[in-house]
Amino acid sequence: MSKLDNKKFMVCCANGAGSSLMMKMTLQKVLTKLGVKPASLHHCSLSEGKSAAPNYDVVLCARNFANMFADAEKKGTTVLGLKNIMSAPEMEQAMKDAGLLD
Amino acid sequence: MAETILQKIVERGHYKFVDRVDSWQDGVRLSCESLAETGYVSPDYYKQIVDCIEKYGPYVVFDHYVAMPHSQEGAEGANQTAVGFMRVKEDVDFGKDEDGEQKIARLFFTLAAKDPNEHLDNMQQLMAIFTNEPLLDALMAAETPEDILKAEADFPPEEDY
Repeated sequence: MSKLDNKKFMVCCANGAGSSLMMKMTLQKVLTKLGVKPASLHHCSLSEGKSAAPNYDVVLCARNFANMFADAEKKGTTVLGLKNIMSAPEMEQAMKDAGLLD
Repeated sequence: MAETILQKIVERGHYKFVDRVDSWQDGVRLSCESLAETGYVSPDYYKQIVDCIEKYGPYVVFDHYVAMPHSQEGAEGANQTAVGFMRVKEDVDFGKDEDGEQKIARLFFTLAAKDPNEHLDNMQQLMAIFTNEPLLDALMAAETPEDILKAEADFPPEEDY
């Protein structure tokens, strides 16, 4: 069992069609490697994601968008802003740093 | 085997090789040209992309000189799903990101997304290309569509993680 099992993940980018999709693929890679079985993985645009973020356990986005989720963070959502959205090692490290891994 | 995205780019004529562009905005416009000429996007599709980058910053520029200009899935002006390729010889400066890092591109992979499944497949393939540095180097040196295909044959995608 992992701490991340059954968690709800959301990945956001400006349009919800380009980098968020890539980031979701990176996330899938990382979760598969860690043997995590998430409840759901959702990708969307920032405009949708901003209001929906508190309903998710973990929100991932490019670093420049991370501050847009400050409200959700206050409500307990973990927000991970990444420099390179395609880097699986960076994502895994960010999860580790946020205390999401065992 | 199904066609790869680079093969599709060559077959559909969705490529452009230029030496330099006047600005990143001009680069985005030119990168959409082959898609517009073939009717995959409307002639003014590029304006949405420019607006978006002006609003949110150069987040579409990744590591290793790669830019992926795009608009929304099902965006107005995206008539079909495709990727347009453009190689610029000189650096295209997209300005600084929020960390003050200069964002530079020479390879443009411009997205038009209409069909979600085909778009997802394109994105999966692009991600494998963007994390394959020898292939990116070869594409930066490409001068002809044949060079694109040769680059892909010489440096097939690998699992990186």
